[in-house]
Amino acid sequence: MLSRVAENLYWLGRYIERAENAARMAHVEYLAAIERGGQTGDGGSFWEPLLRASGAAHAFRIAVEQDSDLSPAYFLILSEDNPNSVRSSVVQARGLARAARELISREVWEEINELHLSLLGRAEVRDEDLYDLCRAVKRSVETIIGLYDHTVLHDEGGAWFRCGLYIERADMTSRILDTKYHVLLPAVSEVGGPLDRFQWMAVLRSASAWEAFRKVYHQDISGPRVAEMLIFHPVFPRSLRFCVRALGEHFRQAAVLTPAMDRLPAERSLALLELDMAALDINRVLAIGLHEFLDDFQRRLIEVQSGLTDQIFRAIPESVA
Amino acid sequence: MSYSLIEGYRPPGVDEMLEASGLPRPAYADLLERLERWGPEGFQTRQARADLALLNAGITFTVYADEAGTERVFPFSLVPRIVGAQEWRGIEAGLVQRVRALNLFLGDVYNEQRVLRDGVIPADIVFGSEGYNLRMVGFRPPLGVYAHIVGTDLVRDQHGRFVALEDNLRTPSGVSYVLENRTVMLRVAPDLFPEARVASVSDYPVRLRNMLNEVRPAGVSAGDVNAVILTPGAYNSAYFEHTFLAQQMGIQLVEAADLIVHDSVVYLRATSGLERVHVIYRRVDDAFLDPIAFRPDSMLGVPGLANAYRAGNVTVVNAIGTGVADDKVVFRFVPDLIRYYLGEEPIIPNVETYVGALPEDLAQIRAHLKDLVVKPANASGGYGIVIGPQASDAELAAASSAIAENPRNWIAQPLVEFSTVPTYVDGRLQPRRADLRPYVLTGETPWVLPGALTRVALKEGSYIVNSSQGGGSTDTWVLEAGDAEGVEGVEEVAAS
Repeated sequence: MLSRVAENLYWLGRYIERAENAARMAHVEYLAAIERGGQTGDGGSFWEPLLRASGAAHAFRIAVEQDSDLSPAYFLILSEDNPNSVRSSVVQARGLARAARELISREVWEEINELHLSLLGRAEVRDEDLYDLCRAVKRSVETIIGLYDHTVLHDEGGAWFRCGLYIERADMTSRILDTKYHVLLPAVSEVGGPLDRFQWMAVLRSASAWEAFRKVYHQDISGPRVAEMLIFHPVFPRSLRFCVRALGEHFRQAAVLTPAMDRLPAERSLALLELDMAALDINRVLAIGLHEFLDDFQRRLIEVQSGLTDQIFRAIPESVA
Repeated sequence: MSYSLIEGYRPPGVDEMLEASGLPRPAYADLLERLERWGPEGFQTRQARADLALLNAGITFTVYADEAGTERVFPFSLVPRIVGAQEWRGIEAGLVQRVRALNLFLGDVYNEQRVLRDGVIPADIVFGSEGYNLRMVGFRPPLGVYAHIVGTDLVRDQHGRFVALEDNLRTPSGVSYVLENRTVMLRVAPDLFPEARVASVSDYPVRLRNMLNEVRPAGVSAGDVNAVILTPGAYNSAYFEHTFLAQQMGIQLVEAADLIVHDSVVYLRATSGLERVHVIYRRVDDAFLDPIAFRPDSMLGVPGLANAYRAGNVTVVNAIGTGVADDKVVFRFVPDLIRYYLGEEPIIPNVETYVGALPEDLAQIRAHLKDLVVKPANASGGYGIVIGPQASDAELAAASSAIAENPRNWIAQPLVEFSTVPTYVDGRLQPRRADLRPYVLTGETPWVLPGALTRVALKEGSYIVNSSQGGGSTDTWVLEAGDAEGVEGVEEVAAS
């Protein structure tokens, strides 16, 4: 398959997943904040962790200097100045889908295009619309992924798409955890209060993990248990372990025809990452330090991506180089 | 029966739906009855559904001059244009005849050049054409086919006969709209189709793919042909069509940077390494195919492609250098070429054409500028056209001096009062001028798609049907044999 197109499909997977994550997190944070009471009028404070998790905190501070009326919800969902907003991700995804249209089905293309059109038509996000808007985005993204599964060949292109999807999901789950590690592991004196419980629940909901958590842990909710679920659960489809394993499987399918020397760097980084995810457990992670572990995890995802980009997507063919 | 829809329908001349008597032609009578049942709400909801379907499907084109939102939906008219079976047979025969003659002409001007020695067409017109490509001299592509895909623009003139306005032999576009318009019509107006005997257009992509296989380079077996579509990229106005055709044929859509030439063999850059390419259906102009051969100053294109082509290792569709046969000046000679190569009388006449390159024609252009439509010889998309009868004195003066400066670059044709088709406007049908662009594929033999792109000038009184200038389109129904013959046949025309 064309290298350029393989890269397009990989990024299509990333942006599609990014749009869904951004919508889900905005929605969860918003509800949690309302429930905690009274904070919604309070500028960016309750949005701050969310802005950090989506890597937009700095851009938001700059944007607010330009426009003091700018709402965080608008910035996270609709702003085109925020490269990680839902809309920006969908615009990117739509451009990539358009450039790879002959490889995706008409159904997938139309769903992406309709999602794009629905966001183009929006000028503002009012509090009362937030729920419906985020829900519509999530459903649309799930529809796209479902259609991709059921109407597009499960061939190399599909495997690159899923590589993008799982690396993005792994990245996002680790970011959610990282911005909340101080919430997950507070000083001993504060542990176990009702406030903690609400915050842990919010973390789980940000990763669509609340109901799964209840099924897995029959004991009380606690920070380490939340972290364990989101990092190590073998069959929870958003845990780091699950995502890394899925990424590895799809990568091996995608790169099966790639010359061995070209796929080696990504293959090696991924193999080491898979090994660690299988060998470590939550106690070891807490001993290393949760933040340090997550920092290293993100660095290693970047390493995998460099291997893909430099050696596979943009490789210079040997017979010509 | 009386039709409220056509109350006040006053065609300015020949009309596709109504006879001169004001009665609907038989082929349209059934359709009108069914349209009557829709009522105004029916039209509105169907129009809304059709527009939404086109928008959601991203069936858009790009308008270069327009700054706001560069992608637009091609306006769609719900009332189909009908061409009867008998008349279509004549069109089909006429197109096959034209395309055969044009391919023979191309093979001749790049090889023996008999046509020049026999004085059928002046040599300086051929060699002076921007489309004439010296790299092609002495080269003959597989099966001797140069123009594999041809879209000829036809209109029905004031005498009721179809005449040719121009042949598009380089990278004719629009066929995706033929297929998509039908898809939309089947979706929003299924009630119009039963018993209408409309010929299906859906196998075009299969025919196109088969043709690409047929013209493969020597030594490649039919089952191994790696064909690709070469697009200028996502910003091209016809990008939707490029993706559509690639998807429908199941072949890869590539950009120039994806291709690489090594030892006169073309490869594409794949994740699995280099993959050999046998046939390139290119949707870029000659000038942007190969910077080494055609544009040393350009970064665009695939360096070495022209050599690989001449070495017979890859087939380029349409061939390099076909532009000489769709030059608007050469167009004037197409009837002579048909007589010369085939010994037949042209079935579809040319619209009368005067070319600045011939002194006697130039005198006619000068004398009758105000009655003629003046066009640049090497432009498409309706750009640079001056319509004499509608032009201001200043515009005429400007055209006159442009012609004096470079007569070779201009042609003129009388303003054809071409026929109108019904289109739905404000609660009733109204006549709007429309052309007809059928498509001909040529591999081992020519094949005419039983359908066409009908472009409609949606502005009242307008003659310009180009999408870039306010035109829309409608589904075109070619009826299969056994239909009620509605429209006078081309056979009569050929005899007249």
